[in-house]
Amino acid sequence: MITLNHYLFVSGLLFALGLSGVILRRSLIVIFMSLEMMLSAANLSLVAFSRFHLVDGLPNYNGQALVFFIITVAAAEVAVGLAIIVALFRARQTTSVDDITSMKY
Amino acid sequence: MMPAYYLEAAVVILGLVLMVMEAFVEKADKSLIAKMGIVGLLVVLVSLFFVSGPAEGDDAPIWSFYAVDPMALFYKGFALVTTILVLIMSLDYRSVLQHYMGADQEKPGAGIGEFHYLPLFTCAGLMWMASAKDIVSIFVALELVTISFYVLVAFMRRNVGSLEAGVKYLILGALSTGFFVYGLTWLFGLSGETELSKIAAALGNDDSAMVRYPKALLFSLAMILVGLGFKIAAVPFQIWVPDVYQGAPTPITAFLSVGSKAAGFVVGYRIMEPFFANHVAPQLVTLILAISGATILLGNLAAVAQENFKRLLAYSSISHAGFLLLALGCSSSTTSPVNVEGVMALYLGGYLAMTLVAFHVMCLVRAQLGSEDLSAYKGLSKRSPFLAGVLLVAMISLAGVPFTAGFIGKMYVFLMALQSRYFVIIALAVVGVGAGFYYYLKVVRAMYWDDAADDQSVQISTLSKVAMLTMVALIVILGIYPTPILNLFAA
Repeated sequence: MITLNHYLFVSGLLFALGLSGVILRRSLIVIFMSLEMMLSAANLSLVAFSRFHLVDGLPNYNGQALVFFIITVAAAEVAVGLAIIVALFRARQTTSVDDITSMKY
Repeated sequence: MMPAYYLEAAVVILGLVLMVMEAFVEKADKSLIAKMGIVGLLVVLVSLFFVSGPAEGDDAPIWSFYAVDPMALFYKGFALVTTILVLIMSLDYRSVLQHYMGADQEKPGAGIGEFHYLPLFTCAGLMWMASAKDIVSIFVALELVTISFYVLVAFMRRNVGSLEAGVKYLILGALSTGFFVYGLTWLFGLSGETELSKIAAALGNDDSAMVRYPKALLFSLAMILVGLGFKIAAVPFQIWVPDVYQGAPTPITAFLSVGSKAAGFVVGYRIMEPFFANHVAPQLVTLILAISGATILLGNLAAVAQENFKRLLAYSSISHAGFLLLALGCSSSTTSPVNVEGVMALYLGGYLAMTLVAFHVMCLVRAQLGSEDLSAYKGLSKRSPFLAGVLLVAMISLAGVPFTAGFIGKMYVFLMALQSRYFVIIALAVVGVGAGFYYYLKVVRAMYWDDAADDQSVQISTLSKVAMLTMVALIVILGIYPTPILNLFAA
């Protein structure tokens, strides 16, 4: 029997993986991908909470509605984000975070 | 009287109309777009006084996620004023934008029209956020603001600094969204509700998962605090601030430091408020106070060494976030006649005026003298007595000299903290204010005591003069007579 805890555990694992990807990887594209993984973690736990929190025998659809908003917003974020990364690549020929250090105090 | 959400609709429609118009305006001069935006937003600002909430018996679904209370109306006005001033600044900043957009001689305005209408969408997001009282609408409004900021920060695409700032803001902004959403998810999971008032109601029920699992609730609130910490620039989530502020176009830096911070505090207050009178309150308050103390100390001490005016204001913005957090931390224990909402509104209102004046001067100096370093401000009183005068008022207000808005805001925060007996944080804050006097007055010294390298003067348009004088008047009026704002929030 798969319980809410199992879903939450996987979701937490996804979140932790995403976070460690953001912190450890040096390529902007991979970092950006890891960020999307963190949002997916939130989506997974939302759906799980919604499914296991029955209202009148039906899942709590408020949570699932939020999932659609998160997916849409994430898509918008990717559209803008990749455009910025492309612009950076055209200016600097690099997408590594080690090279974007022109501002120092 | 009309429903309050007409205002957001009006701002979005204005933005869309200008977006379409932009394609047809002559390429040589895109300033028309900004001027129309300013006029349109002024009209919306006036109509703010003629809006109403739900009528008796009106239970349309929108009122379940859209609040119309003094707080919402105040911060709507706040967003509108900020955006109008940002648009005025962007007119003064055009020459820099044109330089970095690689414009040719025949079409100097090509490619900068977007810069004049995108702030309207940010404004609509900020206004919606002031009213949002449902997890879903909070999230969507917050992202509308953040995503339009990504574009605006990275706008000067031939300038490496702006692009780097854009990428840094993008990565850390998206990271903060990740934390924020994960926190909201758990809040939803524990309460089974998305509406904040229903979550607050569920807190009173002992069977609620929020009461049975206080650790999970604290985890969720901590995640939300992390996400908002990025938006308001609180330590340790402030790492992006100096670089992004320095690299972004100056009007957008001003927008970020005022609009984004105010929105973060409104959302933070709305989400956290029910939990301040609750079993998790002690831990929550400790967390907020710890962040607040670190923010005040780091922001002020790091600002001391700065030689770039924009970076200096970035650290100053961090330190002001610390004072505002201190006010938020007093929510559960203060017994003073003024309430926390009132003090936060007063502090942010004064902060808006003084920060926008400082950034406006910076726009003009950058566009005409070509530098953002403090050395460019040497002898500014000879180049332009007007600019030096308004910047002087802004600086002494930021430092907290009596009879200015900055002083009165800090005074109320200190009073609340004293009542709540947070003596350690007060000691840190006093150190911070002391350091503040040093680095704000460093700017004043450069303007009045040092000599300019050359005798180039700075030209100021009438519109900018009016805008700056209005803000200076606001600083002085709030500094002497803050009662109207405090009364607005009195129970």
